[in-house]
Amino acid sequence: MTAELIIFVLLAVIAVAAALGMLLSSNAIYSALFLVVNFGVVATFYLLLGAPFIAMVQVTVYAGAIMVLFLFVIMLLGAERLRHPNQVLSWQQPLAVVLVMALLGFAGYVVSMQGLASPPVDVANTVSYGSPAAIGELLFREYLFPFEATSLLLLSAMVGVVVLTAVDARRGVSRGVSRDRRS
Amino acid sequence: MLEILPLILVFPLAGMLLNAVFSRWMDETWIAIFACGASGTAFVIAILQAIALSGNHFHVETVLIADWITIGNLHLPWQMRVDTLSLTMMMLVTGVGTLIHIYAVGYMRGDPRFARFFIYLNLFITMMLVLVAADNYLMLFVGWEGVGLCSYLLIGFWYDKGDNGVGNARAGRKAFVVNRVGDMGFLIAMFLMFGAVGSLNFDDVLYFFEHNGVEVAGLATVVTLLLLVGAVGKSAQIPLFVWLPDAMAGPTPVSALIHAATMVTAGIYIIARSAPIFALAPVSQTTVALVGASTAFMAGTIAVTQWDIKRVLAYSTISQLGFMVAAVGLGGYVAGMFHLITHAFFKALLFLAAGSVIHGVEHGGHHTHDHCDAQDMRNMGGLRHRMRITFWVYLVGAVSLAGVFPFSGFWSKDEILADAWNVGVVQGHWHGVAVYVLLVLAAILTAFYMTRQIVMVFFGEPRSSAAEQAIENPPVMTTPLIVLAVLSVVGGALNLPGWHTLGHWLEHTHHFFHGLDFNLGVALGSTVFALLSIWIGTLVYYRRPLENATAPDQLEGVLGPVFRFLYCKWHVDELYSKTIMALYEWKARFLAFQVDWYFWHDFVHEQLIASAFRGVTVVLSGPVDKGVINPFFDGMAQLVRTFATRVLRPLQTGYVRNYALGVMLGVIIVLGMIFVNEGM
Amino acid sequence: MTISNLNLVGTLPLLFLSAWACGLLLVDLWIPGDRKHMTGWMALSGFAITFFWVSSNLGQREEAFGGMLAIDGFSNLLHLVFLGSGILATLLALNYLKQHDIERGEFYPLMLFSVVGMMIMSMAKDLIVVFLALEMLSIPLYVLVGFARTRADSEESALKYFLLGAFSSAFQVYGIALIYGATQATGFAAIGDAVAISGASPLLLAGIGLMLVGLAFKVSAVPLHMWTPDVYQGAPSVVTGFMSVGAKAAGFAAIVRIFFSAFHSLAADWAPVIVLFAVLSTVIGNVAAISQTSIKRMLAFSSIAHAGYVFVAIVPGGYGALSDFAASAVIFYLAAYGLTNIGAWSVVIAVDHADGMGSDISNYAGLARRSPGLAAAMTLFMLSLTGLPPTMGFVAKFYVFRAALAAGYTWLVVVGVVTVLISAYYYLRVIVVMWMNSGDGQVVTPRALNFTVGVTAAATLVLGLLPGPLMAIVESSVRGLF
Repeated sequence: MTAELIIFVLLAVIAVAAALGMLLSSNAIYSALFLVVNFGVVATFYLLLGAPFIAMVQVTVYAGAIMVLFLFVIMLLGAERLRHPNQVLSWQQPLAVVLVMALLGFAGYVVSMQGLASPPVDVANTVSYGSPAAIGELLFREYLFPFEATSLLLLSAMVGVVVLTAVDARRGVSRGVSRDRRS
Repeated sequence: MLEILPLILVFPLAGMLLNAVFSRWMDETWIAIFACGASGTAFVIAILQAIALSGNHFHVETVLIADWITIGNLHLPWQMRVDTLSLTMMMLVTGVGTLIHIYAVGYMRGDPRFARFFIYLNLFITMMLVLVAADNYLMLFVGWEGVGLCSYLLIGFWYDKGDNGVGNARAGRKAFVVNRVGDMGFLIAMFLMFGAVGSLNFDDVLYFFEHNGVEVAGLATVVTLLLLVGAVGKSAQIPLFVWLPDAMAGPTPVSALIHAATMVTAGIYIIARSAPIFALAPVSQTTVALVGASTAFMAGTIAVTQWDIKRVLAYSTISQLGFMVAAVGLGGYVAGMFHLITHAFFKALLFLAAGSVIHGVEHGGHHTHDHCDAQDMRNMGGLRHRMRITFWVYLVGAVSLAGVFPFSGFWSKDEILADAWNVGVVQGHWHGVAVYVLLVLAAILTAFYMTRQIVMVFFGEPRSSAAEQAIENPPVMTTPLIVLAVLSVVGGALNLPGWHTLGHWLEHTHHFFHGLDFNLGVALGSTVFALLSIWIGTLVYYRRPLENATAPDQLEGVLGPVFRFLYCKWHVDELYSKTIMALYEWKARFLAFQVDWYFWHDFVHEQLIASAFRGVTVVLSGPVDKGVINPFFDGMAQLVRTFATRVLRPLQTGYVRNYALGVMLGVIIVLGMIFVNEGM
Repeated sequence: MTISNLNLVGTLPLLFLSAWACGLLLVDLWIPGDRKHMTGWMALSGFAITFFWVSSNLGQREEAFGGMLAIDGFSNLLHLVFLGSGILATLLALNYLKQHDIERGEFYPLMLFSVVGMMIMSMAKDLIVVFLALEMLSIPLYVLVGFARTRADSEESALKYFLLGAFSSAFQVYGIALIYGATQATGFAAIGDAVAISGASPLLLAGIGLMLVGLAFKVSAVPLHMWTPDVYQGAPSVVTGFMSVGAKAAGFAAIVRIFFSAFHSLAADWAPVIVLFAVLSTVIGNVAAISQTSIKRMLAFSSIAHAGYVFVAIVPGGYGALSDFAASAVIFYLAAYGLTNIGAWSVVIAVDHADGMGSDISNYAGLARRSPGLAAAMTLFMLSLTGLPPTMGFVAKFYVFRAALAAGYTWLVVVGVVTVLISAYYYLRVIVVMWMNSGDGQVVTPRALNFTVGVTAAATLVLGLLPGPLMAIVESSVRGLF
């Protein structure tokens, strides 16, 4: 067991715990803060993998900008406390547990077959790997098309947000009540 | 050029389809233009074919349209044949047909079923052309049946008229049923030919018989006698002639086209077409000749006594067909075909002129509200002043039919008589003599009854107010009459003695076809007989005209019961109904009541099968079906529905979290599937 | 990567349509609110230009952006399906939006963006591009589904679609990550090479499974179908007609390209999953459709079932020489389904009313008497969806089943035919209701809608009677690709 592995396991426990905390917490603010912790841990993973640029982006964009936005929205809407969801179907929760267990089982199987500590290839050896220059190089050469496509994607998402939230000047927006949609 | 032959079928067919589909949007003029145009175009094509054929050194040409039946050895194409025989018929059918089309435009004007009439007429032209242009017996049979169908449709064209409102329909049915008897003979003949030859192509069949000669004489006799049965049906010979007089129920153009000029000659055509087979069967030839001669005589005797203007012509037609049949029976194919052509001219002329008379008298009757029978000659008289054109053309037709020199009928009839003289006296066959005697008698009768008709219709004083007010018909009707009259006069030029144009023309089809030299004695004799007969007719009917519409015939007083026997058509219809029909009905009744109803139905079905079946069904339907099978399938259907409503519907809760669970389930299933498959 | 292997010329139609969408966003700002149909006509012209551009050279075999995109007969034919559904849906939208009082200019650029996403999806030769394309076609669709947002059911279905779509996308991304982990590649060719060398590892298989989940969600295969009826019912009908064809075809395009090229040698592993999808989708989709009373939900379940039939055609793709055969069967089936389904949704739109009434099957009673042309077209569409001759649906099912038979999956064909029989029950019920029951609902048939119905009905019938030429084009375009 190398030191690297020990650190990884520790961080992994924290990451999973934070994720669980986010899911299980009934206070939205807590959930958001758990998510910040999770993002931080993931950023650390990136550092461990020798990708400092991605780690910084993770911290600034996700843990920083997006989380702040989340918190603002939650506070503005006053939705800190989630109502306990009403259970309609009794079999839902047990089934969910069973399914998650099965998924974990599959994950465990994959990990056990693949081996934990065998990084597929020694990518970290390359000096420039993960550096801003290298990423820029990749983005604008090899992954030019995905990069440009992403811009188009974000544009359409923006338009969508405008469409869904803009108040129609002519008649305003009346919010309907969700109905139970049994067929 | 000869390849365009199929067009001759296409145009009448197109005319028929056009009128069938679009007639409701067209007025009579356009319908007439399409119908006459279709027929006229076919005539033009026939002429072009004739030119092309002569350019082809009269070499027989076949044109394949399509494959029809190919089963094993049986290979039957839709194939048309151009030779001088078929072309003669084609030109005749389309030429006379076109004239009659034009005439019918005037005759049928204002009839509510105007379009339908021309649809049938064009269909008839198509079918007749299929008949005469066929290259095998089966295709010929298709045309044969097709014209039979058209005949049926057109005889019953005014199906709501006639005796008791069904008379015309009954006449059509009679024609159809009687023709079936003939068709049966034709069919069996075809089967025998196919059985022996393995083909129905004219060339194959005729080659087979010519090649094998006397070895197949027995078969040839059977086949030819069966073909004769077919010809007897179609050409209205003894004993199957009874349908033709009744067929006069159809509109007059139909009588002229189908029942005088074209369809009824199909029997003569098929005998001429099968000449090499007949050549092998002297017995059949004798039979054919005697049947024809007897028919000629018998129909002539009946024609003398009839009152109905069209019926006289109908019996006359039967009589003249008898002449043709007798001619081909004696081997005088050229004479038969010659008479066929001239007869088509003058008999079509006579029928159309008779139609003109009827039309005129009907018009007069309409004018004076005198609704007497417009076809009864007793109601006519003195029409020569009121209908001048009709009178003159009628006269031309009548003297031509009577065989007066130099009209066309003289030449053709004389050639038949010469043939009979040749076979009977020169070659010394007894049947030749018999045929000669019968035909001469028939010729005398012909001249006599035509004189009687002319006098009754056109001379004397009008015997009804309708006849007084009768008027001449419009040019659309009289023009074809004039054309036909001209043809009746000059038609004899087709085969004048010394030239034998038609004989040489037909020789290209079969070497059997060759004309005879002119026999002056026979010609003189027949002319003398004809003139004598006309003189007697004038004595009887012109000197002492009929006094009024109800007076008896002048001959009735002289001949008495003989006249009445002839008037009742030798009681042939009654004989058939007493013998064949009665026997048939008794048999049918026996089969229907005794065998079918009492035995099969009451006993076998009801008592044996039904009761047993009922017992089984009670068991099956009760315990088995209701108890087991039905519930099973009901249960299956119910299960599907229940599954859908009870299981699948509740799953669609509408909650996102449930749906997400579904996605999760999918993930697990997919991964499980993959890993289990991989052998986890 | 140099400018030479960018191949901007080959991708010009795609770039043109993207630029047209962006430009239209700007132009729309100057179009007054009561004339938004002008935006629609401009979008329509953009679609049409691209449609004819693409159809002018179907048989290309090129790559672009250094192997990220493929420009070949497969993608070009599917482009025609996407663009065609875009054209027809835009035509329908012109009147639908106004009639339902939800006319806004953004509708059309969003539709263009979505079609661009679909087009990229069918060209993608890289997992990253697949994912981006999936999002690019989905995000505008989420918005379009909620476009009638004063209506609660539209908003609700948009949110459902979005949440579940995001959920399944997460699985897909995870799957892509695992595949990258196993092969160190995202390009199909490189993945194929790596798989050929190292074979199947559990990591790779898990990645394949998870990625398949994401794609199967888009094509609404059972058991990932549950969103479909709710979303189809809640969304504006034009959007439903559009997405039921476009999104589905795009999903299948990605599945075919990934599995026929990158994972071709692993057919033994993924084919059973495809078979499972096929069986579950055809059976559950058709059976569930029986109990529906709403025509929209019925068509939703019907679309699930049809996804199953396309899976039946994909199954033989794993059998070496049959790949081309399977791919052409898929394309033909998608084209047939697209034409028929958009036609059917056009009729639904005609009967549908702004107040939400008229979406019940009973509302179709007496349609034959009120507007016989519409009823006749709907009859044709129902017959085609059932798969009865003489419609295109029959020919499509015939090709699909023939492909499956060639691969030896007789039992799968038997299941397929049995489910077709089940489906006849609910399709024919619509016909019965239209022609034999009496009713007096009103229909709204603007000219554009009549045109759409007419074109789709004619195509369904003509290509049902004469499928030969189209099939020949499809086969020659696809030959040798996979």
